[in-house]
Order: sequence, then structure tokens, then C-alpha cells
Amino acid sequence: MNVLLRTTVALAALTMALPAFADDAKPLAGQSITVLLPSGQSPSLAADFEKETGIKVDLQMLSWDDIRPKLITGLIAGTPPADVTEFDWSWTGQFAAAGWYEDLTPLIDAETVKDIAGSSIFTVDGKLLGVPYSNDFRVMLINRKHFTDAGITDTPKTLDALVAAAKTIKDKGIATYPIGLPLSTSEGTSTSWYLLTKAFGGELFDKDFKPLFTTPDSAGYKALEFEIMALKDGLVDPASTGLKDSQINESMFAQGQTSIMISGEPGRIAQFADPAKSKVAGQIEAILVATESGNTRSYGLLEALGIPAASEHKEAALAFIKWMTSKDYQIKNYGVGVLPTRTSALEQLNNDGKLLSGAVLVEQAPTVGALFPQGTPTWYPQFSSAVSNAINQAVKGEVTVAQAVQSIADETVKAQQQ
Amino acid sequence: MELRLSQRILTGIGLLLLILWSIGPIYWAIATSFTPTPDLMSQPIHFFPEHLTLNHYQRLAGFGTVASNDVTVAAQFRNALVNSVITALAATIVSIFLASLGGYAFARLEFPGRQTIFFIVIATIAIPGYTVLIPLYRLMVSLKLLDTYLGVTLIYLSAFLPLALWLMRSVFQQLPLSIEEAARIDGAGRMTILFRIVMPLAAPGLVAASIITFLGAWGQYMVPLIFSPTKTKPLTVLIPEFSTKNFVDYGLINAAGTIAMIVPILIVIFLNRYLVSGLTAGSVK
Amino acid sequence: MSLAAAAVPARRKGDKGIDGSADARLGLMLAAPIVIAMLSLVLFPVASTLWDSLHRVNPMMAGQPFIGLQHYRDLLVDPVVNESWRNTVVYVVICVVLETAGGIAAALLINQAGRWRRYVLAIVILPWALPGVVNAVVWGWIYNPAFGLLNGLLVAAGLDFEKFVWFNDRTIALFAVSLVHVWRMLPLTAVIVLAALQSIPSDLYEAGRIDGATRRRMFFYITLPLIRGGIAVAMTQSTVAAFNFFDEAWILTGSARGTRPILVQVYLEAFQNLHFSYGMALSVLVMIASLTVSLVYVLRVQRVTRLD
Repeated sequence: MNVLLRTTVALAALTMALPAFADDAKPLAGQSITVLLPSGQSPSLAADFEKETGIKVDLQMLSWDDIRPKLITGLIAGTPPADVTEFDWSWTGQFAAAGWYEDLTPLIDAETVKDIAGSSIFTVDGKLLGVPYSNDFRVMLINRKHFTDAGITDTPKTLDALVAAAKTIKDKGIATYPIGLPLSTSEGTSTSWYLLTKAFGGELFDKDFKPLFTTPDSAGYKALEFEIMALKDGLVDPASTGLKDSQINESMFAQGQTSIMISGEPGRIAQFADPAKSKVAGQIEAILVATESGNTRSYGLLEALGIPAASEHKEAALAFIKWMTSKDYQIKNYGVGVLPTRTSALEQLNNDGKLLSGAVLVEQAPTVGALFPQGTPTWYPQFSSAVSNAINQAVKGEVTVAQAVQSIADETVKAQQQ
Repeated sequence: MELRLSQRILTGIGLLLLILWSIGPIYWAIATSFTPTPDLMSQPIHFFPEHLTLNHYQRLAGFGTVASNDVTVAAQFRNALVNSVITALAATIVSIFLASLGGYAFARLEFPGRQTIFFIVIATIAIPGYTVLIPLYRLMVSLKLLDTYLGVTLIYLSAFLPLALWLMRSVFQQLPLSIEEAARIDGAGRMTILFRIVMPLAAPGLVAASIITFLGAWGQYMVPLIFSPTKTKPLTVLIPEFSTKNFVDYGLINAAGTIAMIVPILIVIFLNRYLVSGLTAGSVK
Repeated sequence: MSLAAAAVPARRKGDKGIDGSADARLGLMLAAPIVIAMLSLVLFPVASTLWDSLHRVNPMMAGQPFIGLQHYRDLLVDPVVNESWRNTVVYVVICVVLETAGGIAAALLINQAGRWRRYVLAIVILPWALPGVVNAVVWGWIYNPAFGLLNGLLVAAGLDFEKFVWFNDRTIALFAVSLVHVWRMLPLTAVIVLAALQSIPSDLYEAGRIDGATRRRMFFYITLPLIRGGIAVAMTQSTVAAFNFFDEAWILTGSARGTRPILVQVYLEAFQNLHFSYGMALSVLVMIASLTVSLVYVLRVQRVTRLD
């Protein structure tokens, strides 16, 4: 433990000196690090970084679903899976409890932490375990052409207005199923329900992680009722009970068959604007998350970069993280569809007119909160799985809403005790 | 045996259904790989692509009109193809070499623990990969064999050796003992007999075991995902990467999948004779 | 029949040859690399996992105390685990039945194909030669409700399968997922059974015909008894493969409980929930279960083949 502490302190001292040298001296040149990220990164990522710092990067890219088994295998075996790795918001509780990642608090300057508001999601007991590099929060995405064709000019701010708009679009025959909402047993189903819970003005848990969604007047309960109503009223395609969010985005929304994505991902806007991948280029825009009260809310699902505690090249790894989360690189990285985490970078992109649906994203960003303000729990995977399984059963009519939320609560309690 | 006409018609229909069942999904994958991305999401679907495109293949090969980041797609793809061939070949050669020597020993030579060892080795076929994943990973890290051809080959060896050994032992058991006995009387040593007389006779079995091992290694996913993340990454790990968090490129996945099929298809078509004769070793008089 | 014979101990015990001790030395020498490889790469890791499963290894908790069989006791009463076992049993039954029945039918058909036999066999083997992941991705695309081949064909045939979701109903989903696995594994059964069919001496059928037996009777009294050994080996293969069912279910239906096989549960416990040794204990149970079932077949093969 002492050794670890000493290296951290030494590291801190060294890195504070780093920026001064960075331009001319390249103090870490010649070192090499491994970096594990999901596929879809800029192809010149490694080369750009090496040019800047002289540090060689062995970039390992895996599909998103494959990152976690790869990471966990290395971490449980006690070896660093890489010197810098992907660090998803949902892993925070587990990785913090396992003590797998280096505390970056003394290494990252306060200004950066302030500029990247999402840092708080990755901070556990005062320790910053990852620096967010890819921003993701929820907005709603609409097909503006469908709205205009249906004669709707106002942008819905409340859920009631949203449902009314959807009904108008359906009645006019513009879209058979105007609302896109995943209801299968997949993560996208859970994240959509979280957003609707927020939209109904509630939270998932109180500060002691007691479930807040079991009573009929709770936001989570109403959110599930809302989903069932949307399905029963024919606003949501019945096929959604078997579809993941990505499938709904690609096979319905991008085809112009659906008008509203309840749980919209800003990262997809660029894809929808690309005529090669979408039939609705020029028709899609983001709107603020409509809520019951009309006061918009959202939550963040950011991805960060962290350094496994077992890494042997921490200085070079830190240099990489600083570089990849710098304002300049974030602005550049928006080119491959990675939304900046720095408020300053977002603003600049918007001011330059480069940010698609920029005004909405910049307005939504400050309303983004943590899904678990009390810290992501270690049992998040069980909770999320219980949520999607219960919702899927409820919308198929196999269980009632009360039974569904109760089963989520029961599973949560069980997971908490394990 | 002569069949009545009605039976021949029934057999013909059955064979046709069998062929449709076998190649239908393969046809669909190939058709998808030649369909332009926007056409993939059209209704009603077209059983034959309306427009054909080589775009997905061009992107894999790295020429034609491509976006900037496809340069790496092509490079990655070439490396993965080479890696798949190397690791599958290496695994096959080592496994078959050990399995044929061992198979002969287990079939013909009497030594202490013969039955027990054989049974334990064969029983390992039933061990799920996850049971050994983490200890194996620790072992590979401590031997510094992560992301090396040697490391992956060793793991494949441990996975495919049992079946190959099982096959080879049975092939040797089927060979008539009289030839060997005759050679022994002429004064030939065991190894001479093994390499000069037995191995040539067992050739069909060797080929069959090789093909089964090669195809097994070629299709591996979890092992290379964990043990060969970059430098030795094979096609099977690369293909799912074409679906990023935000966009699933079905055209590209099917094109890469089609190419991943080509090597097995060639093997089946050209070595089919050996495969069949190897697997029917007992029946070929 | 090569594979069936594999399960039988060497037919003649007395084939020691001339120099027994030299043979024993050579035998040990040739078997040594295999023993070393299996010991270090399989048996040692298995032992390590067994040891872990008797401890509480959870990276989120300090220490790794010895807990004996606690995990195994907990696994027996874990409802989610039991649901996965049920699914796996369903998969094993569906896969083994369909692969065996389909494989035998395919082998009989190919055997009748005359001069086309080679080509038909080449085509039938193809699905087995494809990487499992590619297989699952391709089938996921075929099952796609809106743009998939399956619904397209059914709609073209005039049936109401417009946007039908194949993974909605649990029973249908279990079948749909199994089918993908069956498609890939059926060829192996077909090849093994075909090999057994071809090893039946044709004079047996001649004799049967002279006695005036019908084709039907000949199938049940000559063919079936003689390919039983091959069928049992094929069933062993199918069973082990079905117990280790992972790729297809994971890619097609993710972690849905209704279709979650036991190995996906192992993955979720160990890698998702980080209850590492709990997951490992479950994987040990999977190993024991598939070994036990396989052993039943292998012992049966021995008995069957000893009869002839």
C-alpha cells in the first residue's frame, strides 16, 4: 500500500510538471502503452498521439459487448488488461469496490474536472476513477417532417403533449406506430424506463438505496404504466417487445416509420443525418426531454478512460488520458461521432455551428444528472437485468404493473444482500 | 438395391429439402453481402437483391470509393485473415502430430495407465470454456504468451487434442494388425512401422481429423477474444467489431462473414473426399 | 465404424507384440506430450477453479475465506439458476432430438443419393464448417421481424407473419434459438451416422431380401441395430455441445431469462455480477452434468458394441 501511495505522489509531482515540457521535450517519448477501447474510434488515434508525445500506443479495439469480458478476465487475474481502458458509467460501483482502478484525483487538475461535469459520476468516496471522454445523455429525437406533415408546429414539452402529437400523427396515417420504445429484455429497455422515471419527476432509489418505484403514485410505476398505455393505444409497434434499442433506431426511426424516439441518443444524430445510412436525412432533430411537469430532465451514460491500478506505465497512460480528453482533441473527435464531455468543447462546437441539434444539446446538457446521485451501486447489473425482464413481462401482459415493479424491488433487495 | 419410382421421387424431394435447409441461410448471408446498405432496410424484402453492389467487399479490400476510416478496416481485415489462417494451421499441425503419435500409442502399445489416461483426456471435452478461462489467463500472462501465436496454439491444442486423439486412436484400431506383425517379423522397429507403414494407411483418418481440428480452430471466438486481442486477432473477433454502439453494419458483417466462410467451403469442397473416407475409415474395405 | 469404436477399449488385450517393456516405454514417451499438455492447460486450471469454488472469491469483498460447499448449496436453491437449468435441459432435449432425428434422416437420404452423394454431402457439411458467431449473426438477420428472410418467406407464402417477433413467446424463442444450433450441429451427426451406415455389410441386406423382408423391416432389424453405436456417439457430441450452448443464445436473445442457458448464467454471475467463485462453482456443476450424461451414452455404446 505504501509503495502504491508513493508512486501516486511521485506521479502527481511528475505530471504537474508535464504540461510545461509537453510541447518541446516529450519527456515520455519512447515509452509504449496499450489502450483498450470499443471499436469505432478515430483511425488515426494512435498515430496522432504518438506524433504529439512520442509515446507508442498499442490500440486494442473490441466490439462494445466484448470489452467487458476482456476487461474482467484481466482484472480478476490480477493483471492489467491494458494501461488505459474504457470505463463505462455503469461499472463505477463494482470497479470502485474492487479497487481495480487508479485514483486520478491528484493527477487531474480541478479545472478539467469542473469543465467535465460528468466526472462526478465516476467519483466514488472522493476518488476520481475515470475521466469521461465520450458524452452520452438522453434527449428525445423527433422526425420533424412527420410533425410538420401532421400540422404540429409546437415542440412538445410535456408527456401529455408528446402523446397528443403521437396520436395526431397516427390518426393522420403518417406513421402507423409513431413512438419508438424498446421493450425487449435488453439494456435499452432499462435505460428508457429510467428516463421516463426521471420524466415523471422521480428517482429510482432514496439515499439508502430503498426502491422508490413500488407505489402506484411513484414515478417509476407511472413510467411503466405509460409504456403499457403507449403499446396498448397502438403508439408503439408491438414488435418492440423483441427489439433492442439499436434495432428500433435503425429499422424504424432511420426508415421514417417512427416519429419519436423517447430515449434518444445524441450520438446517433450524425448517423441519421447521413443519407447513406438513413432515409430520413434532414428530418431528424433533438428536442428537450418532455416531462410530466414540463421542466426537462435527463441523465448521463458517459464513458470514461481509466488506468488499472496494476498498470506499469501510469505516467504515459495519464498523458494519453489528458490528451484524449483535452478540449482540442474532443472537438476533433466529434468528427467520428464522439460527443465532447467538456462543456467548453460543446459550446465551441455549437458556436462554430458544427454541432448537430446544437442548441438543444447545449440546453439539455446542464440538466443532466447522475442516474444514481448516491453512487452507482455494485449490484447495478442485476438491477438492470431485473428491470428489463420485468418490463418485458409486464408489456406482454404476463404480469401486472404492480407485480413487475415488486419483482424489480425484490430482485434488488436480493442483489443487495449478496 | 433398386428403388421404386415413388420412393425415388420421395428421396429426391427429401434431398432437395435437405439442400435448401443447408444452403438457405448461407445464400441469404451472401445475398446480403452484395446488397447496398439502404436496400437492406426495405419492405417487402427482396429474395434476390434488386441492385448488386461490391461496396462492402471493396471496403474490406481497401480500394474503390471509400471513406477515410476504411483504410484501417482493410488493414485490420487482412491481418485478421492471415491470423486466422496461421493460428488454425498451427493448431491443426501440432494437434494432429501429437494425436497421431498418441493415438498409435493408445491403440497399439500396452503401457501403465493407458485406459485411465485416455478416459481422462477424452472426458475433458465436457469442460466448459469458462471453467478454465481465468486460471488459463493467469498461466498465459505468467508465461508471457498473451497475444502470441504460440499461446493461442497451445490453448487450441488443449481444446482440440482430445477429439483428434479419439479419432486417431479409432483409425489405428481399425487397421489390420497383420501388416504390422508381418513387418515386425521382418525386423522393423516400432517407429519405422509407425511412419513407413501405419501412417500412410491412416492417411484418410489423418486428413479427417485435421479438417475437424482446422474448422474448429477457425470458428473459435471466446478464446481469441481473451487471448489474442490485437496482434494475433482472427476474423471471428474482428467481425462483431463492425457493429459499433451506434450502428450495425449488416452489409459489412455479412461480407466479412462470407469471406470467413470461403476457407471452410473450399476445404469441404476440395477435401470432401478425404473427409468422407476418413470418417468412414472402417467401411472402406 | 471409427467413432463408435473409439469408445470401445482396444478389442484385443493380447496385442502386446513381441517386446512388452520396450512398447511400454515407447507408449509412455508418445503419450507424454499429451499428458503434459492436458495437465498444464486443462487439468491444472480445472483444479484451480475447483479450489476457487470452495472459497468466496469476490473482487468487491476483501479476503477469500474458505466456505466449503456453501456456493453449491446456494446454487441448488437459486431460482434464477434453476430457471437457466430448465432452459438448458430444454435446449439439450430439443437439440439432441432434432439433431439425431434430422441427422439420421439426412444420412439415410445421402446414402440413397447415388452418384450425387459426394456433392450432397459437401453441401450438408457446410453449416458445420461456419464459425459459430457468424452463424448466429446471420440467423439474427434471418429472424429480423421487419427485414428478415423467414418472415419474408412466410408472408410470401400468404401467411400472416408480417413483422412477427420470433423471440417474444418463450416457447417459440427456445425453439428458434435451438434451431440455429441444430442447423450448425446436425451435419456432424449426419456424417457420423452416414459412416456407420456405410460400414454395414451389404450381404446382410441380401440375406434379408432372400428371406422376403420388407424395406421397413430391414431398417428396423438390420440398419437400426447396427448404427446404434454411431448414433450414441453422435448423441454424446450433441449433448456436450448443447450443454455448452452459449454463442447463439447470447447473440440472439442476450440475457433474457426465458431463453438464458446455464452457461450464460455462469457468464453473468462471474463476469457481470462479479460473484466470481459462485459462477465458477456453477461452471463446475455444468461440467459434472454434461460428463454424467455423456458417460451414460458412452457406457451404452460399449454395451451395444460388445453385443456384436
